[in-house]
Amino acid sequence: MKKIQLLVFGLLTNVFIIAQTDNGHFSGSFESYTQFYHKDDKIGAVVPQDKIGSNNFLKLDYNYKQFTAGLQFEAYLPAIQGFPFSENSGKLVNKYFRYTANNFSIQVGDFYEQFGSGLAFRAWENRQIGINNALEGANIHVAPLSFLTIKAIYGRQRKVFAYANSNVRGLDAEIDFSKTGKTTPETRVAAGFSYVSRYQLYTGPITDFPATVNATSTRLDIGGAVASASFEYVYKKRDPHDANNFDNTSGKAFLTNLSLATGNFGALLTFRTLENMDFRSERESLQSIGLMNYIPSLTKQHDYLTTNIYVYNAQAMGEIGGQVDLFYNAPKGTGPGGKFGSKFSLNFSSYSGHNDSEDLFSFGDNEYFHDLNFEWKKKWSEKFTTIFLYQNIFYNKLVIEGEPVPDVKTNTVVLNALIKYAKKKAARFELQHLATRQDKGNWAAALTEFSFAPKWTFYLSDLYNYGKTDTHYATIGGSYTNRGTRFGLSYGRQRAGLFCVGGVCRFVPAATGVTATLTTTFN
Amino acid sequence: MKKTTLIIVTFLIATMSFGQNDLPDIKLRSLTGDEVRFNSFGNNDTLLIVSLWATWCVPCIQELEAISEQYEERQKEIPFKLLAVSIDDSRTTQRVKPFVKGKGWPFEIYLDVNSDLKRALNINDVPHVFIIKKGKIVYQHNGYVAGNEEELFEKIKTL
Repeated sequence: MKKIQLLVFGLLTNVFIIAQTDNGHFSGSFESYTQFYHKDDKIGAVVPQDKIGSNNFLKLDYNYKQFTAGLQFEAYLPAIQGFPFSENSGKLVNKYFRYTANNFSIQVGDFYEQFGSGLAFRAWENRQIGINNALEGANIHVAPLSFLTIKAIYGRQRKVFAYANSNVRGLDAEIDFSKTGKTTPETRVAAGFSYVSRYQLYTGPITDFPATVNATSTRLDIGGAVASASFEYVYKKRDPHDANNFDNTSGKAFLTNLSLATGNFGALLTFRTLENMDFRSERESLQSIGLMNYIPSLTKQHDYLTTNIYVYNAQAMGEIGGQVDLFYNAPKGTGPGGKFGSKFSLNFSSYSGHNDSEDLFSFGDNEYFHDLNFEWKKKWSEKFTTIFLYQNIFYNKLVIEGEPVPDVKTNTVVLNALIKYAKKKAARFELQHLATRQDKGNWAAALTEFSFAPKWTFYLSDLYNYGKTDTHYATIGGSYTNRGTRFGLSYGRQRAGLFCVGGVCRFVPAATGVTATLTTTFN
Repeated sequence: MKKTTLIIVTFLIATMSFGQNDLPDIKLRSLTGDEVRFNSFGNNDTLLIVSLWATWCVPCIQELEAISEQYEERQKEIPFKLLAVSIDDSRTTQRVKPFVKGKGWPFEIYLDVNSDLKRALNINDVPHVFIIKKGKIVYQHNGYVAGNEEELFEKIKTL
């Protein structure tokens, strides 16, 4: 007993000394998103029995030299409306321990990881849309040679508050050819290979059913100071499951990016084709549950009320297309730049189905989506800046949302003006209009925001669907920020529709009420 | 047993006498694809501003534009360096390099493709800026509204 006391005393002394000498580092964050709902027949808001939704996350990490340990506690009291699950409790969900040395690291417990662009495997978290695909197991990184990095993973995937009923294992190797020689060349060439395998017990009658599904990915990255190119090809063995309607064929994907960046000019060309690439930890999973790989829609991610109404959702079952991005900076004092400079960007993306599902490179006639948009940012004086945006969209609602209605074609203009009338005081105004003859018809929006840096902001916005539904989606809100802590409060209507973050979407239902957000970071 | 305990205690105390900085040991990628360890920036004496941003985040871009406009002028007053770490994931990470060219930003840009740094620094949302002095986080701010850059420059002078 005495020995134990001594040991405990010794440890406590240590902890005390750690705090005293500032050795070891403790950090964490807390996030709470709470909505109070009320009845609103005009927009068809469905009020849950409890009239409240609250998602809460507490994360704590402690780092001491090469050791890091952490945990994450989540509480859904209950989950907000439209979340992919309806938990009404809290749980300590993630726990991990990591050791990092120069050429070696090991993490046991819950971890996130990504191979290549994630087309074959990605474990990640996105709290806004309710995704947490962390694996519980082990993740080892080794760099045995200066030009070789190997990652090995093993684990079971998190499924809300439980774990998927399957095992996932994977291996990823990357060779950096620019480090194989004695001198470092200007252009970096790297090749990677990944292997991912999932096993889920099958007890059905089919004798040759693939209980184990393997996917392999090969990639090549060439990066220079001016031009870069990357290529990735993924092959996934046959994997009949619910989400692909028990398609018995194999899956394939090819992705390439070519970019150019020189002087004041930048350009990017992306091409991607997919066939039967839905990959889940469990055969029974649907929607955004149990995703093993990452298939974002490769389109521009917009941030305005009207440019976010028709948003593409990548079709993992099959699509072909790409996008072009052009960026230009007209510096101060040049013709188009004027006295204070000006910035231009152009983006065009287009996706359609394959003509022949056997041929990965066959462009089909059935267009799913396109988005042509142009943005011009101009600073007129020290105090006044404007952004002008034009967008043209084609949206195949049957393919994207499964609703058999005519294709939607829209034209949108946005004007965003910022007046910085004092050193730390500014007013911002947005005027927007989306014109379409299809679906719900035209939308107009206006927003005004006043900010008093660095702490306070207030805003008032209205999104108005006129002609057919004549519905206002007005919101009033504000926020207070002090260093790493932010508190926001708003009241208003939320439009039903696709809510997308990071290229993955979920449907949010119409809702009216008060939303309170609290986030804090301590380091 | 007593000996063992003593050894453990001594060992634990001994391991603590090494100094360290508060920055997490996370690997980032430069725009040419090279790996850089985030904690290696802690060894430097220059004041460091670290901004976590994304190409799809309008306030992040406003903040970096505002800092960029005053960058050279402010650097004459007090030496500092800004690292802009993009948390764009593989949906948009390829846009970062051409995007930055089209903005003409003078910052060092790094990529945090699967949000490892964002998680290690316990950041909820972008933009989020840190001021780092000799490996310690001495100031941070979440979110951006016009004028926040003034606050940031004022802080730099006092730290």
